Amino acid sequence: MEKFITHSDASKKILNIAQMSSALPVNVLIIGESGVGKTILSKHILHDSSIFESKVLEDMIIKNKFNKDEYNELIVLNIDKTINKLEFMENLSGIKIVATSSIALNEIESMFAIKIDIPPLKERPEDLEELTKVYIEKANKIYDSNVELKDIKIDLSQNGISLKRIIYKTVASISMDDDEMMNSLEYFLNKKLEEKNEYRDLLKYFEIPLLKAAKKRFKSQLQMASQLNINRITLRKKLELYFKD
Amino acid sequence: MKEFYEELIENDLNPYLLFNSNGKVKSYNKEAEFLLNFVSIRELFELAVSNASINFGFNQKYISLKYNKQSYYAILVGYVNEDEIALRLYKVVSNHTTTINNTKLKMVNIFSLIDLSKNSTLLQSDLKIDELYDISIPEMKININDFLLLLNSCFEYFKDDEKISLQVHIKIGEYEVIDNKKYKIVALAFIANRKVEANNSLEQKATKANANIFFNQNELLIELPIIL
Repeated sequence: MEKFITHSDASKKILNIAQMSSALPVNVLIIGESGVGKTILSKHILHDSSIFESKVLEDMIIKNKFNKDEYNELIVLNIDKTINKLEFMENLSGIKIVATSSIALNEIESMFAIKIDIPPLKERPEDLEELTKVYIEKANKIYDSNVELKDIKIDLSQNGISLKRIIYKTVASISMDDDEMMNSLEYFLNKKLEEKNEYRDLLKYFEIPLLKAAKKRFKSQLQMASQLNINRITLRKKLELYFKD
Repeated sequence: MKEFYEELIENDLNPYLLFNSNGKVKSYNKEAEFLLNFVSIRELFELAVSNASINFGFNQKYISLKYNKQSYYAILVGYVNEDEIALRLYKVVSNHTTTINNTKLKMVNIFSLIDLSKNSTLLQSDLKIDELYDISIPEMKININDFLLLLNSCFEYFKDDEKISLQVHIKIGEYEVIDNKKYKIVALAFIANRKVEANNSLEQKATKANANIFFNQNELLIELPIIL
């Protein structure tokens, strides 16, 4: 089971609440933005129970395909997505429910004796640091790479989901050898060609990264032109074209 | 005939008091005598004066009041001269029955529930709580779901306060009788630095959780029978 990261005081308290809730015959509602760890936490409360997407379960209930007697406990994901929340919960009465939601749900609040509000990762810097470390380690292992935190531009738009995605993508791209890079570019350009792009349109996918890298590495256009062995006027024209802002 | 009306008022289920112009009680019925155990004469006199009609006569007002365990939904204030003013309070007929659905009760440590509710409700609150717990309180049978909902609402009620104290102890010498059985009572007193106002939603949740709730000045008090 994936571990709920508990390096901040808030997440330690949250895990403690989850563990205490585990033994009690009450429903638990976990609220938080996408990627904060709601599903992982729900599995800390109900270890071996069935997991349903709420929309799927609602559809099964409507079509009489859900046999309530088969379940004592259930994890229901994204309960905020159901159409009739009150009726949905009434249909599940008698079953211990651990539900997740991205928003507070006033209409069915009284059906959950325990509510756990998980703050976003940016409000839990200790957890963010640990999670970033874990993802970088895993990604480096998979891609046999040695990427460090400074090489990664952190994306927290979807908390842990976007963090993991950007780390894996960065590590994957940094660790590519020449063939892999060219294969990747070929795959990418092939898709662009389907969109009827011309040679001139596609040149930017090669030139922009090259010029960005050169700008970072060399202090002046003179150095850049000399190192890249191109005419200074040509270089300036290209820089103006791509980086006019 | 006059004696009959006096007897009627004396035996009325609703409290009746007659004050003189200085706020001294001239007469009162049995229910008012009982009520005066929980509220001062001065408070009731001020209630009458502040709700009296402008001219001589009678004024009814629907007003929500609670003294000890009894709630009132209306008052009648009347005066026909400058020397006397009468106050009658109308009791809320309670549908609260002192029976308990045993199937929903589970043996549990009350302090675990308090901790759980406090931690989950106040996760992002800065409220400081001075806890004074009588840890000799044994595990007891509680309707966990409804009691947690009540506790959550209590902590929610004080969420924006700076500091409260929470005292949990067994009431000495007091019992609650349910289904002809006597039960000891555990009291949870939330004490704030401000006046605590009566709250309907909390009262409903307390009733569901088999608890009594009182709003006394700066104290919110919950009493729960200790069912073993």
